[in-house]
Amino acid sequence: MGILLFISVLLVAACGLIYELVAGTLASYLVGDSVFQFSTIIGTYLFAMGIGSALSRYLDRGLVYRFVWIELLLGVIGGFSSALLMMAFAFTQGFELILYALVMVMGVLVGLEIPLLMRIVRDRYEFREVIAHVLTFDYLGALGASLLFPILLVPRLGLVRSAMLFGLVNAGVALWTTYLFRTRLSGTRSLRVACVVVLCALGVGMAEARRITATAEDNIYADDIILARDTRYQHLVLTRFKDDLRLFLNSHLQFSSRDEYRYHEALIHPGLAAVPTPRHVLVLGGGDGLAVREILKYPQIESITLVDLDPEMTKLFSTHPMLTKLNDKAFLSPRVHITNADAFPWVEGNTESFDFIVIDFPDPTNYSLGKLYTTAFYRAAARHLSAQGLMVVQSTSPMFARDSFWCIAETLKQVGLETHPYHVYVPSFGEWGFVLASTREYTPPVSLPSGLRFINVEGLSALFQFPPDMAPLAMPPNQLNSQVLVRMYENDWKDVSH
Amino acid sequence: MKVGRRKFLHAGSAALVGLSLKTDRPIAGSFVNDSFQMGHLLRDRSSFPSARRIEKFPVVIVGGGIAGLCAAWRLDKRGFSDFVVLEMNPQAGGNARWGENEITAYPWAAHYVPVPGPKAAYVRELFEDLGVLKNGQWDERNLCFAPQERLFLYGRWQDGLEPAVGLTQKDREQFQQLEDLFAKFRASGEFTIPLELGRSSRHQDLDRLSFADWLQQQGCNSRLVNWYMNYACRDDYGALARDTSAWAGVHYFSSREAEEKGPLTWPEGNGWITRRLLERVGENVRTNQMVHRITETKRGASVFAGDTEFQCEFVIFAAPTFLAPYLVPGFPGLHDFIYSPWLTANLTLERLPDSRGAEPTWDTVFLDSPTLGYVDATHQSLSTHIERTVWTFYWALADGTPAENRRLLLDKDWSYWKEAILHDLERVHSDIRQCVQRMDVMRMGHAMIRPAVGSVFSAERRRLTRRDTRLLFANSDLSSISIFEEAQYHGVRAAQTVLDNLDGHR
Repeated sequence: MGILLFISVLLVAACGLIYELVAGTLASYLVGDSVFQFSTIIGTYLFAMGIGSALSRYLDRGLVYRFVWIELLLGVIGGFSSALLMMAFAFTQGFELILYALVMVMGVLVGLEIPLLMRIVRDRYEFREVIAHVLTFDYLGALGASLLFPILLVPRLGLVRSAMLFGLVNAGVALWTTYLFRTRLSGTRSLRVACVVVLCALGVGMAEARRITATAEDNIYADDIILARDTRYQHLVLTRFKDDLRLFLNSHLQFSSRDEYRYHEALIHPGLAAVPTPRHVLVLGGGDGLAVREILKYPQIESITLVDLDPEMTKLFSTHPMLTKLNDKAFLSPRVHITNADAFPWVEGNTESFDFIVIDFPDPTNYSLGKLYTTAFYRAAARHLSAQGLMVVQSTSPMFARDSFWCIAETLKQVGLETHPYHVYVPSFGEWGFVLASTREYTPPVSLPSGLRFINVEGLSALFQFPPDMAPLAMPPNQLNSQVLVRMYENDWKDVSH
Repeated sequence: MKVGRRKFLHAGSAALVGLSLKTDRPIAGSFVNDSFQMGHLLRDRSSFPSARRIEKFPVVIVGGGIAGLCAAWRLDKRGFSDFVVLEMNPQAGGNARWGENEITAYPWAAHYVPVPGPKAAYVRELFEDLGVLKNGQWDERNLCFAPQERLFLYGRWQDGLEPAVGLTQKDREQFQQLEDLFAKFRASGEFTIPLELGRSSRHQDLDRLSFADWLQQQGCNSRLVNWYMNYACRDDYGALARDTSAWAGVHYFSSREAEEKGPLTWPEGNGWITRRLLERVGENVRTNQMVHRITETKRGASVFAGDTEFQCEFVIFAAPTFLAPYLVPGFPGLHDFIYSPWLTANLTLERLPDSRGAEPTWDTVFLDSPTLGYVDATHQSLSTHIERTVWTFYWALADGTPAENRRLLLDKDWSYWKEAILHDLERVHSDIRQCVQRMDVMRMGHAMIRPAVGSVFSAERRRLTRRDTRLLFANSDLSSISIFEEAQYHGVRAAQTVLDNLDGHR
């Protein structure tokens, strides 16, 4: 019986530590600042254990009976603690209050356990043996739990089910105790029924854990994330706040539905409206269809070829009702031809020519994307320009990344193109820039399609004026073998975010 | 004691790994392109079939590596196409051979050519012909893309291969001191590529001591400086600094102008050049043709390959020169031709391994590794999204004698080398075993000529560059350094000599 008893001590100690770790980890995940969370939770927990120990002196009769109840209570509270905390975070304002209240209650109960156990076994052993055995197994249990938790439990079971598993252990110890000490207990039948009820409840909880987590998570991101998807190429997140729809690719904002018309009208019309008779248009990037929506405002255009890397992106913007509403079902037009391909090899391999080319790639945040901003790329793209052709390039912010903007302009100039940089204000982006490039003289258009909300003929010439804080800088061109732009861009934005 | 601690660590980590139940995926692969069996037939003077057929060509080129193919290119370009190239291996290219799989083409050995300086006129002419150099501009797509090189040291990456992290004042001073010395040597105009155009007796004394001794004479005792100097010798000569002539060590650092353009490179390395050359002269190239005898006759020479006798006026011997004594009856033994053994491996990666957060570069080197690191074959891809790739891993077996290392290459099986290579890569890419799908290993007993002490100014070498015979030598080993430009130079020179003399006849 001795060893069985001490195994209970070990299990009980493990449970106590697991609940503490669950609370600390969950608080770190949800609120952040793990150092603060773990420190305060461990402190509160130990303090509560002290209270439990102090309170143990007031229990003097029916120790085994009370121990069984404490185990059951801990099983329920500890076992459901993780689910409870997630719900509290998702559905209430008082996460911290509930967190620390729960930690206090569990701490008090855990604090009661060891003193009670010691007193239960004290008539069997000498005092010094009781202390030695109980504490030895107590610490062993703690070691086991602290290793199991990060290595097996969190990765395999997750926080909700880990807590429930140890709730089951607590309830199991309770049931086991009713057998171990049956001679010293009365009313064992009702105790065992209670144990079985708790075990069943936790068992059901284990089985339903996924649904509990899902319910809570839905609410944590309430109304915010409409869609989050890891495609083969990127992490795509669509959020909504009231009437504002926002798309993030790899955490970079692509557009906000409130002001994207400013960006896309500015991207397309100063160039396209200046092409005498545009028939064929090429869009590189732009898988959201918003640039295509603007291009479709020209009835004389016969074909629009869109080359975007990610088929999931173009499919989403062809089918999702909120998104097709935003791009006016641009991708469903018979004039639009979508190709899912890597732009540089496509441009190298294709021989068609176009009257207007839109280059709308993500900013050059790494060397891979940087390839799409090089003299080699622009040289290859310019070969597709027809005699009347114009090319427009999304060129990041001339305000926040002034070096980068003028580097892109210089790169286009290096391949023998005439460049016409311009900029607009897009509230969700800030000041944003584009470069028009052509093999012939460019004059701003004198008429525009009707129904534009931002660009008008009178305001056009102002776009090409750069105030002193965005004025041209002498920059080296970006080439495949130097890729100066990537470092430049990183430095530019570093300066902004500090 | 060291072993004891390591064993303990292994046992400890095994216990932890056991908990996570990770299993290594099986890795396919084998030795490829082995050619030592054929070489050994020659070495052992085995009997070869006697000639049953006779073919006649004015010019026979023995060896289809860069020297041979460039000789062919020169002949063809000057309007002379009545020649044949005999290559022992199933694939032409020699050290510029390549392979290809569903992901990309990849090199088997040489993988770049530095942007040629003004002295390398033949190389510039070739690149103009291949469209790499147009109107004085290098095609950007053929220049190595950024980021180019990185060195892993002290648990982190640095840009470039010369150690720049964690240098003491002493290290910095010695790097600077050497840089100044090399600049002076460069200014002397004697350390050129091709080597023959600049070499003069003024610095001949450098050829009489090893690069390691010379470094010591300069007072260079910094560990990092010595690591870097040894890395350079292993990389270009397959030898340690102590086995390299100081003249050659100085040449490595003093022969090229410091310029930012970066080398010319392609997914299949110099295999790209081989391909372009074969497009031009491939019809004249015969593979699987092992030449086993060359005899001089009254009016020319006979080259015996298989059961065919090729009768010709001139032989351009572009194969490694050390083979000559085995092929040409009465040819004197050679003493100044020592070759470094190499191992290369191509690793097909199903996904990109964890690189501690760094973006892939072209060339990756690990400080204090006995190997030379690896080159990424998809680095020159224009795609922005790369999921799978091929790494070419380089290992010059420099520590120990070439003979010992050749024995090691023959004795150890494929899995021995596979494990050794994975072990080296695991220092940085912890999940490499989960990424490698296939690893093919190529063993080269005589991979490249070694510029040992005394070999740059060797009289034996000078004799072999004579141009008044019917047997003209053309391998890069005539220069005592194994680089593309030297191979091409000797190939073109030999072809030009042949053209001049043929013209004289007619």
